Amino acid sequence: MSATTDFVAAQAENRRNTMVLLTVLTALAGGIGYLVGALMEGESSGSLPAVSQVGIAGAGLMAAVSIGWSAISLAVGDKMVLSMAGAKEIEKQDAPLLYNVVEEISIAAGVPMPRVMVLETDALNAFATGNKVGSGTIAVTRGLLNTLDRDELQGVVAHEMAHLRNLDTRYMVVVGVTVGLIALVCDMALRTLNWGSTRSSDRKGSSGGGILIIVLLVVAILAPLAAKAVQMAVSRQREYLADATSVQFTRNPNGLISALGKLAEKAAPFPGVSRATQHLFIVNPINRFTSKTPALLATHPDIADRIARLRNLGG
Amino acid sequence: MSSWIFLGIVVAIGLWLIAVYNGLVGGRNQAQTAWSQIDVQLKRRHDLIPNLVQVVKDAMAYEQETLTKVIQARNNAVAASGNAAQSGPAEAALSQATHGLLALMENYPQLKANDNVMQLQEELTTTENKIAFARQFYNDSVNTYNTRRQSFPAVLAAASLGFGPMDLFNMPESEREVPKVALR
Repeated sequence: MSATTDFVAAQAENRRNTMVLLTVLTALAGGIGYLVGALMEGESSGSLPAVSQVGIAGAGLMAAVSIGWSAISLAVGDKMVLSMAGAKEIEKQDAPLLYNVVEEISIAAGVPMPRVMVLETDALNAFATGNKVGSGTIAVTRGLLNTLDRDELQGVVAHEMAHLRNLDTRYMVVVGVTVGLIALVCDMALRTLNWGSTRSSDRKGSSGGGILIIVLLVVAILAPLAAKAVQMAVSRQREYLADATSVQFTRNPNGLISALGKLAEKAAPFPGVSRATQHLFIVNPINRFTSKTPALLATHPDIADRIARLRNLGG
Repeated sequence: MSSWIFLGIVVAIGLWLIAVYNGLVGGRNQAQTAWSQIDVQLKRRHDLIPNLVQVVKDAMAYEQETLTKVIQARNNAVAASGNAAQSGPAEAALSQATHGLLALMENYPQLKANDNVMQLQEELTTTENKIAFARQFYNDSVNTYNTRRQSFPAVLAAASLGFGPMDLFNMPESEREVPKVALR
């Protein structure tokens, strides 16, 4: 059974890549917190210590704010996303086929049945949101429901179920908050440096502080961009992971492959979708998929690439 | 000094035993839950088949043999349920018969106009899928559990903690072939 080991290996690789990216992001956030703290200590005492206590406190503060902010976002984000997209919850009699397919895949995934929702638009797309196993929602568009056959629908639902089981909503919220926090602190640091440079002209210069200011200046300009690139890279890894997990559930890559082919042609933007929620969908609803978007800042991998990887899993 | 080291080793072994125990309990419970899901879906299929045969039997009057076979297989499966050894083959035979019936129904366009038939057909299709997926999840869970209890160092403690190996739910390979539809 080479197919079995293949999706297991693919999942392991995607998980590893996510961990590397999260480590980079954490180091970035902690490093900025330390730099800002060290600089503040240097400013007030006039000399730079080898290891700055305030800097360590700054790194800790970054972590604490990041965790607290994430918790708040996780508590309210779910409902906001669903009401923004205009999704309506359905019962079994409203769309028996969709409901049955979701039920089948939840059995295959071994997770409790999520809520099922439909978006009233002709565009083809689907998304999942949920913070913990057992309280998720899977939403598909009416256009998707009318266009895909049973196998294709199964592939798409399995991809969304994979996002729920792999807790991708949680990952992306935490990553998004950390990236936002890095941008905020860097912005504040740049403003403060602007101020400080005019004030400190009459003070006796400390060369150590000068170097640190230049380092902070460079970091404050580059870090938000780097953090954004890491965030998008995590998003793409989670898409690959969800594709591989989808095959684990259905043992049939062909359904998802043919569904992605149709989605590539007809995934148009629709009301209720925005840049804030674009990363949730199975294919990006805003960017054109045939055009080569700058790979570094894309939420989703190229569809052709995803299909090629799925073909490999088929063995 | 040496008594502290001894105490440390005892605590470490205790913590390790707890971890092994909890891991194995979790794995076994997951497999048992998956098994009960298979049971639920098999019962659902036993209930659905007579209904479906009832509504299609007039339109499919010439397929009497197939219909009889399906009912026969269903009754055998019901009789075998509860007996693990016989249940597997009986359910496999029923799967084969059901797929044969579903395939044969495609030849009767007039059935597609009947909402009741379409609804029952969809229910039977999804139940078939649920059986297959539940079996797949059960077997994966059992494989994970068995691997965990056979891996070193858990293998040293698993048997004495009362964790025996679990069996896969097998459907004999020959009975899973694509059903051949006999045309008279």
